[in-house]
Parts: sequence; structure tokens; C-alpha cells
Amino acid sequence: MAVSARHDRGSIKIAPDAIVCEECTLVGEITIGSRTVVHPKARIIAEAGPIVIGDFNIIEELVTIKNRNTDSSQKAQVLIIGNNNVFEVGADVECLKIGDNNIVESRAHVGSNVELTSGCIIGAMCNVSCNEKLAENTVIYGSNCERRFQRDKPPAQGLQIDFLSKILPNYHHLRKPPKSQKA
Amino acid sequence: MATYLDVKLVKYVCSCSKRLPVCRLYLCRHCLKLRCSDCVQHEVDTPYCPNCLENMPTSEAKLRKNRCGSCYDCPGCGHTLMTRASNLTLPDPEDATKTISKKMYYMACSFCRWTTRDVNIEDQSVASGAWQDQENEHAKRINNLLEHYRKLAQKEKAEKERKKYVKRRSHMYYTDKYGLTSVAAARKKTLSSISSLSVKDNEEAVSELEPGKRVEDFAPLPDDIFTKPLELSKMTCMEQRLSTPEFQPANAQKMFPQHKHLLIRKSLRCKECEHNLSKPDFNPLSIKFKIQLIALNHIPEIRIGGPAVFVPNKETRVVLTLNNPQTFDTIVKLLAMDDESGLTTAKIELPKKEMILAKRNDLAGYDDNPVKQDFNDDPSSIAFRNLNKVGVIVKVTPEVEQGDVIVSLTMQHEYRNTTATVGTEDTEPPVVWIEQKVFIKLGTIAEKVK
Repeated sequence: MAVSARHDRGSIKIAPDAIVCEECTLVGEITIGSRTVVHPKARIIAEAGPIVIGDFNIIEELVTIKNRNTDSSQKAQVLIIGNNNVFEVGADVECLKIGDNNIVESRAHVGSNVELTSGCIIGAMCNVSCNEKLAENTVIYGSNCERRFQRDKPPAQGLQIDFLSKILPNYHHLRKPPKSQKA
Repeated sequence: MATYLDVKLVKYVCSCSKRLPVCRLYLCRHCLKLRCSDCVQHEVDTPYCPNCLENMPTSEAKLRKNRCGSCYDCPGCGHTLMTRASNLTLPDPEDATKTISKKMYYMACSFCRWTTRDVNIEDQSVASGAWQDQENEHAKRINNLLEHYRKLAQKEKAEKERKKYVKRRSHMYYTDKYGLTSVAAARKKTLSSISSLSVKDNEEAVSELEPGKRVEDFAPLPDDIFTKPLELSKMTCMEQRLSTPEFQPANAQKMFPQHKHLLIRKSLRCKECEHNLSKPDFNPLSIKFKIQLIALNHIPEIRIGGPAVFVPNKETRVVLTLNNPQTFDTIVKLLAMDDESGLTTAKIELPKKEMILAKRNDLAGYDDNPVKQDFNDDPSSIAFRNLNKVGVIVKVTPEVEQGDVIVSLTMQHEYRNTTATVGTEDTEPPVVWIEQKVFIKLGTIAEKVK
């Protein structure tokens, strides 16, 4: 695994049926899973280590997902994002482990010491940066970052992904996976 | 942007001698005086639900405890709940091998993601109207008390009326003259019936009202109260409890959707002449007003043209912008004011000549070759002119060593009194002069460079 930030595009792996717009910024070693949608102007920056994004995720405009090395003495880690997550407009994510079915709402910030398990919702403008592992189905909302647990995890965004997969190619150039990978 | 953002800098003196920004004031066109929200009569026009915009008469709103019957708020965060549909697949009652899908509805908060499913409220088969309200266990007692006191009030009122009636007997002759005897008789009849009824009922009511029970002792706290770890996520906070004073759930599992509070549409009325200053359209969907006499639409607005540096006892040139909201050219005079409040901290030298403010023309900005305005301005007192705006040069001399630089002035301006011409369309409405006292905080005295 490459430790230092690599700026070559060759190390970016995009699944054939993922929708990744040309205008987004991808830096470093990145893997994007099947049927994941990356909107234009999203930034995925694998600075300190690789970023692996699973299937059926939506990454909206101006989202920053960054693998940042906060402690230089530590070994670089891989930032892993599971399946069915939604990152809404302007979300800023640095945490290294994200499970499944999470929603990070608009302009929310998730620091690098947090771990999102699954079914968590970080509300709009909420800032979570303590060293903690959020329990499943945690909801953080409001200007005081109040917390509660919900019974069901948020539903998967299948219809929205279908819609975006249909609409986005009409108005944007898509990043094509390298030919060698297609085969 | 002084109109809506830095509203505290330029303040007009209301007729009740409060100093307020012009956007908070009304101009009564009958008294020709400024009015603020503290010196007008507020009247409830109609209560309405801010979510579904349904309006209802005040009596009905009172009956429903000023809450909407069909809209709910989240008990966790107070946000409006939305109805969501979900598909439920049930086995077909006629054919066990098949399933039918049925739409079920539940309510969810889009902000904190609370749902009625969280607290095990069953989904409903219709989108609205089927939600059962919680039963207040004290409802019977409250109703008994209400009934009791209503009877007492009725009795009191009847007694008062009876006294009034006795006093008024001397006027019977006149009322008789206008054929009102029947009305008076009818009233007497109802009065006597009410009074006899209330006296009888009251004795009954007092006897039926049982006194409140005193709580003698409480169940002791459970033994594990200090040892069991507290699960904050299952508790409710004070705000959540107090939002439903009749239940005050301590456990988050007992939270229940709350009916949405109604808002009111209100109109404002001048207390002196009793004319309306502001009257909204009856329909809650409409944001228009039938009458809206906000001062911003009638009185030249003063703004500060730009920042200036102030040095104690040194004259500084300041540009004030005057903005004419009226649709005719207005003559304005700026005069010195005797400040009795002692707020003024600087001397102001105003232009001696009166000036003309060009009329407001909403279309002027779109005109390709605008009409050249020529008002023979004195360049020593007029800095610029732009449409209905004019920049006035004033000279300010601070009289204090430090702190805010506040000047005061009196603005006399023309006002076309449109109310005086009702019915006579040919004549121009008469022009009257009205006078406003204005306090302007121009800035602070610059710190001396050491």
C-alpha cells in the first residue's frame, strides 16, 4: 500500500456501473464500488492512505472525504466506507471507518477519530469529532448536537440512485474506468 | 442596507416618544403621527394553522385548545411531523397463497428522525385524521372544576347585570319611546331565568365539587436508583416534558405526537383615531395586505452614506442619504432639534435650504435613457442624486472625548393626505407638512494613536 499521497490517476479504481462525474476531484489511491454515485465537485482525497468506497453510496456536491494523517507517528490507515451511505451537499468526512446505511447531512463534519457503525445519521451542520464509536442507529441533530437512537435504520436510496444514474450522464461527462479493468 | 440590517443606527421618534428604526413604525394617515407596535391596538383577525393554513373562528380555536386538528409536531424536537406511506404486504384472506399489499401511514420528523413507530404507535390505514389522542387521566376533574367555576362566573355576572338593570330603570321611558320595550322585556326574562337558574345551580355545584386530594405519602424510591446507570437516550429532557404539561413523559417511549399550535393573523389599529394601520387579507394563503400603513412606504428614509472618522471637537463632513418612498416630488427641510433627552453627543450643521426629493419610480431602473433630473442643487449641500435618492452633506462636530457620535435633527417633509379626498377624484389630494424627529448614530470617536 502506498503511504505517501500519490497524485497519479492510475491508482483510481472505479466499478463499471458506478457513476463518477468528470468534474469531481479524486486524489490518491481510491476504489469506488458498484452503483455508487459521485456528483460533480465532490472531493475524495486519499492523502495519507487509500480510500475504499463500497456499493450504492451517494456522494453529493461539495462533499469532502479525506484520509488525513493526523498523527504522523502512526501508520497510515485505509479509509473504508461501507454500502448504502449518503453524504449530502457539503459534508466533510475524515473518519476512517464508516459502516452501512449512514447519512451524513449537509455541511456536517465528522472528525477522524469517530467511527460510524451503521444506520447513523449526522444532522445538518453537526460537528462530531470526539474519539468515539457511534452506536448503531444513532441520530445527531440540531444546533446542540442532541442525540437519540432510532428504531429502524434509514431506508436505502435505491430509487434515488436509479434516478441519478439516468439523469447525471445526460448533463455531465463521466469518468470511465480504465480499459484494462473493464476486461 | 441600513433599512433591514443595521436598523439600530437611524432611529425615528414615535408619537409615544420611543426611538425606533423606521421599518418598525407605522404612519397613521388620519392622525399623521408615527405609531409603533407598542402604541397600537393589536386585534386577532383569525387563528390559522401554520402548516395546513386552515383558518377557523376564534371560538372554534378555543374549543380545540388553539391547536390544529390534523397537523402534528414532533415531541422530540418540535418540528412539524410529516405523514409517510409504507407498503405492507398481508396474506390474502381469500387465497392463502397470495399476498395483497396495503398502504399504511405513519408520521416521521424530518429533522430528528423520530417516527410514530419509535414509540410503538400503530400505523394508520388513512393518511390523516385517524390518530387517537392521549387520554388525560385528570380530564374529568378538570372539567368538573371548569363547570363549577363557569357557574360561579355566571352567577356573578347575573348579579352584576341585575344591579345595572336596576340603575337603568329610569331610562325605560326613553327606550320605550324608540320601541325597545320588547327588547328590554326579553332581556329581563332571560336575566331572571339566568339568575334563578344560577342560584339554584350554584348551590348544587358547590356541593358536588369535591375538594382536591392531598398527597399523603409517596412510594419510596427503588433501591437501584443510585446504582443503576442512567440511560440518557431513553429519558426526555425538560423541554420535551414541559411541551405536554398534562402528561410530562419521563420516558422517551411515552412521547406522543402533539397537535400543532395555531398562529393568528392580526390587524393593527390606531388607538387615537381607531383607524386600521395594518390589515392582512382574510385568507391565510395570501401574504397581501388590505391596509398596510408602514412608515417605510410614506416617510423619507434617512441612511448614513458612508463611514467617517470622528475626532473630538473637529468638524467632519458626513453624507446622509435621503430616500423618497412617495410617488411625487417631495420637499424636505432638515432643521436642528432641541434635544431634551440628552442623547446627542455632537453638533450638526444642516443645509439651510429646503431640498426636493425626486419621486419614486419603480420602472426608472429599467429605462434606457432616463429623464435628466434637474433640481438646481446647491453643490455645497447636495453630494449626489440618483433616482429617488439624494445625498445630503452635513457637518458634524463631536462634543465628547470618546464614545458614540449621535446627532439629532428634525425632518419636515410633505405628505399627500389621500384620505381627505375620498369621493372627489378630480382634485389633487391636499399636501400637508409633517415633522419627524430623528436620532442618528454616525459612529464612534476614533481612538487616539499613541
